[in-house]
Amino acid sequence: MNYNIGAVCTTVQCAEGRANKTALRLINPDFSRADYTFSDLEKESNRFANGLQSLGIQKGDIVFIFLPKQLEVFISFLGILKLRAVAGVLFSNFGREAAFERLLDASARVLITKSSLLKKLDAILPDLPKLEKIILTDIPEHQSENVLSYSQLMKASDDHYEVEPTEPESPALLHYTSGSTGKPKGVLHVHGAINHHLLTMDEVMQAEDEDIYWCTADQAWVTGVTYGIIGPWAKGLTQVHYTGNFGIREWFEILRREHVTIWYTAPTALRMLIQQEAQCEDLPQDFPDLKRVYSVGEPLNPEIISWVKRRMNKEIYDTWFQTETGGIMISNRPGIEVKPGSMGKPVSDIEPGIFSDKDVRLTAGEIGCLRIKKGWPSMFRQYRNMQQAYIDKFHGDFYDTGDLAKVDEDGYYWFFGRNDDVINTSGHLVGPFEVESCLLEMDGIVDVAVIGAPDEMLYEKIVAFVSLSPGLEWSRSFEVKCRIHVSNRLSPVAVPVEFYVTTAIPKNRSGKIMRRVLRARYLHQDEGDVSTMEE
Amino acid sequence: MSVIDELSDVFKTVFDEESISINPETTSNDVEGWDSMSHVTLLMAVEDHFEIEFQPFEIANLKNVGALVALIEKKLAAKG
Repeated sequence: MNYNIGAVCTTVQCAEGRANKTALRLINPDFSRADYTFSDLEKESNRFANGLQSLGIQKGDIVFIFLPKQLEVFISFLGILKLRAVAGVLFSNFGREAAFERLLDASARVLITKSSLLKKLDAILPDLPKLEKIILTDIPEHQSENVLSYSQLMKASDDHYEVEPTEPESPALLHYTSGSTGKPKGVLHVHGAINHHLLTMDEVMQAEDEDIYWCTADQAWVTGVTYGIIGPWAKGLTQVHYTGNFGIREWFEILRREHVTIWYTAPTALRMLIQQEAQCEDLPQDFPDLKRVYSVGEPLNPEIISWVKRRMNKEIYDTWFQTETGGIMISNRPGIEVKPGSMGKPVSDIEPGIFSDKDVRLTAGEIGCLRIKKGWPSMFRQYRNMQQAYIDKFHGDFYDTGDLAKVDEDGYYWFFGRNDDVINTSGHLVGPFEVESCLLEMDGIVDVAVIGAPDEMLYEKIVAFVSLSPGLEWSRSFEVKCRIHVSNRLSPVAVPVEFYVTTAIPKNRSGKIMRRVLRARYLHQDEGDVSTMEE
Repeated sequence: MSVIDELSDVFKTVFDEESISINPETTSNDVEGWDSMSHVTLLMAVEDHFEIEFQPFEIANLKNVGALVALIEKKLAAKG
């Protein structure tokens, strides 16, 4: 078997008789749409693979995509994989610092983007010596030897490409994820992950050939890649993608008009739908084609479960996975009884366990570290340039997820939070260190600490505690400046929702921020042991 | 300077892009980076710039820049 993900999503589908089946339906904000068949994807991704090859890109080279949702994201992604280069996708709302850190760490050789986004990176390009070629999707002709036109490159490339045999351990995908300390980590996955993607499309999504599938995640995140590109196309499904922004009217319209049968979204989006529903009239009342809804990114709260049942007359199934796991590990799904609030049960071939800090396996009902027995196909293979951090994630035969959970007597898992300081805000993981470093760049901020706090809409919100230079008064204008700075340097997702001015940040004797103390203060809880604190 | 011209400057600052051009018909789909997350910062920057304050119900259903301009003008008029 050729494990090449790009080939499985296109060449194999054509060979199995789906060449003329719609693979991708791109919906624009004005509801105009464009359809692309599996044959279109096959030919266009072949062209892109040939185009990259003509530039000297080869197996193992890293190629990044920095674009909003548009056709070229999907075509170039598949083409990169066919060439057996490694594909990475950057969130198009990343600020220059966030994009820079990732491109630098990845030693990316090629970047596919558009002129306006490239402008954001102008100042940092000289500091990316490994970046050789930039391919722009919105210029008609090559600008120079190194700044190329996507369309010209495609025109000059043949639509036939013979994908070389690809071993399961061949590197395929590079995702970046935030940790509680330091810079984001590059999570490497291999082509063999396709086996787990297929398994979960069967077992969890229970997708059938005629299903119309819509995953709302951006392609910059693991869900958007695994279940918004690879999984559904590896199963030969028609996928809907919307290029516009979130809005209840638009989303409901797409669900109805496009006859979506399987919908994969996130709790924050659903909470926003619930909120917006109260302010909108004339919304569609029923969704006759929709079979079921899936959710990922944060635990589902009872309000959402009951809203989906009442408003959409459908079941909603929670799924759990991480960037590192590369695919769904634990889920609710048709065929097993749903216990509301539970993560569900492990999928086939996945063996989770609950462990104490001392690596002792805990019994049913005890809360501890959620770990997964290593060896599943979509398990990450390295943190790029961080070998020790990778080794540290494994305890014996088990990968430590950093989540706290328990398992009940019936084998259902229940999520209790993170075991570290990473903040899960609206389904995105944000490292407090990144936000703190960014805020410290502001004139007037002398010290800062960032924590995650519970939030009804976002699941967790980012809260910043700042110490100011003597004489500086906190003002709304200054807060706006801080917010804009974080948004443009990192991402709108990383912007603190609340700021508090403090005279000192609690730290231990080695200077480490004691976030648990700040969290306790914020929540008006007992601060616990503060004997090591030096404020 | 008209409200929309001033608002245009706020957009340029918030989205760090000098070439942004807005008109009454502009929606979030027309401005790169204007999503539900950056919307909050944008509205705070608008409040700060014009020294006004929005109520949640006022901003819940803003359809486009024209609606935002109308709301700003109403607030400024009320301020006298």
